[in-house]
Amino acid sequence: MAARGVRLSIQGLGKRYGKQEAVRGISLDVAAGEIVGLLGPNGAGKTTTLECILGLRRPDAGTISVCGIDALKAPRQAHARIGVVLQQTGLPDKITPREALAQFARLYGAHQDGEVLLARFGLLEKADGLYETLSGGQKQRLALALAFAGNPAVLLLDEAAAGLDVGMRRALHDDMRAMRAEGRALLIATHDMSEAMELCDRIAVLHRGRIVAEGAPDAVIGAHTSLEDAILALTGTALADSGR
Amino acid sequence: MNALSLVLFQTGLSLKLNFRNRMAVIYGYLFPLIFLVAFWVIWRNDEVPLALHLGQLLTVTVLGGACFGLPTTLVSERERGVWRRYAITPAPVWVFIASLLAARYVLLLTAALLQLAVGFAFGMPLPLHPLSLLAAFTVASVAFIGFGLVIAMLADTVPAVQALGQCIFLPMLMVGGVAVPLSTLPDWAQHISAFFPGRYAVEAMQAAVTGRGLTGTGFDLAALLLIGTAGALAAAMMFRWDGGERFSARPGKAWLLLAVGMWIAVGVVAEMHGQVRAIDAVDTEAVPKVGDFRAPAIPMPASWEAVTAADFDAIAFDRLPPDGGIVAPIAAPDEAPDPQVAERIANIDAALDHWRPGMVADPVQRVRNWLSVLAVPDVLQMEQMEKFLPPLVFTRLREMFGDPDLAKLLYWVAMHPEGGDDTAMRHLEALGLPAISGPMQKPRARVMLYAFKFLKRLRAKGMR
Repeated sequence: MAARGVRLSIQGLGKRYGKQEAVRGISLDVAAGEIVGLLGPNGAGKTTTLECILGLRRPDAGTISVCGIDALKAPRQAHARIGVVLQQTGLPDKITPREALAQFARLYGAHQDGEVLLARFGLLEKADGLYETLSGGQKQRLALALAFAGNPAVLLLDEAAAGLDVGMRRALHDDMRAMRAEGRALLIATHDMSEAMELCDRIAVLHRGRIVAEGAPDAVIGAHTSLEDAILALTGTALADSGR
Repeated sequence: MNALSLVLFQTGLSLKLNFRNRMAVIYGYLFPLIFLVAFWVIWRNDEVPLALHLGQLLTVTVLGGACFGLPTTLVSERERGVWRRYAITPAPVWVFIASLLAARYVLLLTAALLQLAVGFAFGMPLPLHPLSLLAAFTVASVAFIGFGLVIAMLADTVPAVQALGQCIFLPMLMVGGVAVPLSTLPDWAQHISAFFPGRYAVEAMQAAVTGRGLTGTGFDLAALLLIGTAGALAAAMMFRWDGGERFSARPGKAWLLLAVGMWIAVGVVAEMHGQVRAIDAVDTEAVPKVGDFRAPAIPMPASWEAVTAADFDAIAFDRLPPDGGIVAPIAAPDEAPDPQVAERIANIDAALDHWRPGMVADPVQRVRNWLSVLAVPDVLQMEQMEKFLPPLVFTRLREMFGDPDLAKLLYWVAMHPEGGDDTAMRHLEALGLPAISGPMQKPRARVMLYAFKFLKRLRAKGMR
């Protein structure tokens, strides 16, 4: 792993909300050119883990390193190297995709060509439409385009395919493969078993704040008939039942 | 890109997005105009509608924009995850907050300028101290924007912003000296108003419009700055990016005490230093009449030339208001105006050389016109101007007519406050003074008072 260059390293991460331990000692590395999937039922700690990496939550324990930068001590420097698609984020209603890309390029101090990103994520036709007029899929594509505004080394995608139609989902998967080929490190949180099987080099299964299994998808499946069965056996909960 | 240019970019973008939002434009610009019309209607019987209430009007504008507009925008964007998205960019937090505040200040300032422009178009006079007004407006904006941020941190939802904003807005309007003039409120309300920043904003801005500029507004400005700074600091310490995070669940709530405590501290200091006294009522005072100073049974001379010493003797000069009072003041010989007022008076002195109403052939009308130069600043309570102009005009009149004739003319003018032409009062712009357009009863009465006062001075100089 070290030979491939670790881009994101989480060691002993812990986070509690009051008496509830949302994350309990999670350790995970993601290397350049690797896609790692975080799987688990709702409340397993996937989103909390991502939010701790991004500084939206202050961990109670552990360390987080992004491209060698201590993300807890220098969160802004770390953010400059991370592209993000998070749930429950949005943009001002009256902004256009073209303006949003220009804005984020400035916020990231990057020189990414907004037109290239608009084209890459199929947004040229809606480039000057207001955010409030975009469909759910278009908003998700814009979120992906914005994740690229800073030309990131690490991408954190939380249910990035949610709301996309089949065609866009396929395009997103192609994009993610391309990102991997470009040497970026991807950590994705997903409920989608097929997505995890198709894309991830490794998966980590979370249950009640702990990693209960980690490895290549085939290794996690082991003697089970499918990844879903394996997760059901590991967590006692089927992802399909836990909803999105 | 450095942080400052990032702030400018974000500010520009915020403004652009604001102007695309129809409701924000209506709220930000139409409402202030509606308030302007409302104030105009309420004070339509003033000699100069609005001039004495501009401080109130501008305070309402700042208050509305800062206590509703700012937190509504912030909380709405926070609820929709906009700020959560900003939080995970490399840009420092203060860039977003500074941009938000700068954009809000620009919106408040442009709304105020729009109000002023419309007011001017309808005859409202220019402020006496425009730069002081800008400074006072800016300080008032700081105070209310600071508290607007506190509201944004307290409120979890947009409806909560409306509820909290109303809790601040309405009391401040009604008993805080903002919508209802302090001088018309009962004593208890005037004491309560000392604990609201609205009255300090009104006083500071009104002083810039018709008073002495920032001179004498030190307490007001200090109170506003302290309240604004405390609010901004408390809001920064309670800041939250995430709409999912409830105020009740987050740490640091005690910082709220700093914001609220500063209001209380300012009120206590105001009470201790006697700063709660209301500005005297200027619009409800009784208008003096000739009969207040001369018995009606005494026959009136046929013309100003026929006035005699016996007529002067019949005047009750002791009933005139004191020279050091509010009505028809005259500066004492040892008083000197502030340098900037002295400069303005010098400019007026120079302009009087060419002022056409001051050169009309009819001596009675000419005296009346010269006295109207004093009456208007007095009615408008233009503090130093109203008391330092009379000695200038008195000297000019003595040079023009000589004491014997001037005494007779002054007597005649004083005895006929409703006589002659008052259009000179509507054309004082050439002197750099506001012209008035409303009912003329009160300014005509001031002409009478100054005529009596000048006559009294001539008598004191031994002229009979």
